[in-house]
Amino acid sequence: MSETVEKPEQTGIIAKAKDFVTTIPYNKIGMKELLGYEKTPRNQLVALLTLIMLSMFLIGIITYFVEGHHAYNVSKEHPWGLLLAVYIFFVVSSTGLCIIGSLGDVFGFKDYMLISKRAIFGSIVTILAGFAVISVEIGHPITMLIYNVLTPGLSSAIWWMGTLYGAYLVFMIIEFVFLLKGDMKWAKRFGLSGLLVGLAAHSNLGSVFGFLNARPIANGVFYPTYFILTAFITGVFIAFIIMGFRYKLEFPEKVKTMLTGLAKIQALLISILIFFVTWKMFTDIYGGMPNRSEVAVHILGSWTFWAEVILAMLIPLFLILKDMGKSPVVLFWASLSGMVGVFFMRYNLVHDTQLKPLQMMKLKEYQPVPEWIHYFPSGTEMMISLGGLGLCIAMYYAGTKFFNLDEDENH
Amino acid sequence: MARYGMALDYKNCINCKACEVACKEENGVLMGADKHRIWVGVNEIEGEYPLLDIVSSSFQPSQCQHCDEAPCQEVCPTNATYYDKNGVVRVDSDKCILCSYCMVACPYDARYVDDRTMTVDKCNFCSDTRLDRGETTTACQNTCPTKVRTFGDLDDYDSEISELLRTREHFSLKANLGTKPKLYYLT
Repeated sequence: MSETVEKPEQTGIIAKAKDFVTTIPYNKIGMKELLGYEKTPRNQLVALLTLIMLSMFLIGIITYFVEGHHAYNVSKEHPWGLLLAVYIFFVVSSTGLCIIGSLGDVFGFKDYMLISKRAIFGSIVTILAGFAVISVEIGHPITMLIYNVLTPGLSSAIWWMGTLYGAYLVFMIIEFVFLLKGDMKWAKRFGLSGLLVGLAAHSNLGSVFGFLNARPIANGVFYPTYFILTAFITGVFIAFIIMGFRYKLEFPEKVKTMLTGLAKIQALLISILIFFVTWKMFTDIYGGMPNRSEVAVHILGSWTFWAEVILAMLIPLFLILKDMGKSPVVLFWASLSGMVGVFFMRYNLVHDTQLKPLQMMKLKEYQPVPEWIHYFPSGTEMMISLGGLGLCIAMYYAGTKFFNLDEDENH
Repeated sequence: MARYGMALDYKNCINCKACEVACKEENGVLMGADKHRIWVGVNEIEGEYPLLDIVSSSFQPSQCQHCDEAPCQEVCPTNATYYDKNGVVRVDSDKCILCSYCMVACPYDARYVDDRTMTVDKCNFCSDTRLDRGETTTACQNTCPTKVRTFGDLDDYDSEISELLRTREHFSLKANLGTKPKLYYLT
């Protein structure tokens, strides 16, 4: 008897799940529509660049499968290279977009509702691009999936970061589905959960560096908090870029209002960032603490640090303050500059942490010990990194074709 | 069950590098300058000829410190790095995912990548070779012509290493980091 009672119930749940999935609104398009786009010079250029970057990804991956980690310029003294920086770049972008997306559908700021769906979709594609890049940086990704579950290292920041980002991706996808369906109540619930898990994951990523007692330049509370701030900043930069492409730099009044609001928030965030970085530099140098102050002085002398400061901080801040963010077209270009600066920010974080050799008593090994550890990415690392960007653009483009990423008028 | 450690009478070191060769031979460590479990650090003679400060030259053998509070173990996401029953910090290559976090976190730069398994490798006090065969010394200790190294059970009051640590002054490397190394440098 009990079996006959359970069966219809199970069927009911399966049927409901099936019904839920089949009613997700998407555009039923064929390959022709998917690959069809307006043949303007700008679109042609972006398409060509994306194709080149995807080809680079393929070549990079093949080289990696043939040569393994030897295809990368990482070494015993500098085991983390460009790919880790690019992974961080993508997951920071994802967290930033999640914050931007949450402004409307979680926190209820009406002006920002119009970017929610687009930002949440962006957060999904950026983290997927990040996962694609990190999967070829980590030596044994399949082993990771198995032993992350079987023998979890709970004291490891990498374990928490990876696990929380996995959960975050699930929340983001579910939130996006509810946004597509126009179910704002459940979108808000999953959006808030995703945001909290994402922020936790992201500050854990900062703690991957902050927990390094052996590296005084990175050790401490700075990175776990700084990561959240820079994620928000990155999210605003990307919001300008995706809206710029969406409206071909001819923004309707409603979008202009939103972007002006975002620009003002950005001015505040960048000011706080400059304040943070200035004081980090002062405290690093002050007192001449060994292994910290000389590293900070060395960083101040590197062009990549100034690329970060000028491109991600000074140029965008100056252009926002010029007319209090009322020129979204100018800020679109400023945001492109900002994203290049953010890339250098991530690269510097990874490289600077490993700058100082740890050989304390190993004063001379088989060759003279370098004063600083040198690293320059290999061609394979560069190709995979640019390929990650290509993947990101391609997935986002496909998303704009398959889904309606604009705000629904009836919500 | 023991608590293995090593005392190094490092001022006796003559930099013959026999320990490095013995370690590579015993444990099958690959050739190459950046593939090593142990090493001998060299303090160059200071000054300029003819005013050379001869006593400034010294040799400092080193390796994994087998910390009681090992940062490499704490940061490992899959517990591939673990303490065995004798307190030796070891790597289970089946679980290692080569995220390299341990290499960045180790304050002693004691880890490298084994190209055969593409996992992180380090000194394990010959646990899977000599100790596994029932011997009581490590390859580096056994081969040292000036008897720099003394390996043994720190929990055994009567062991040679315990006696040495009771009677000789000693220091640990980067003790300020709280890693509690089990390598002791005798002064």
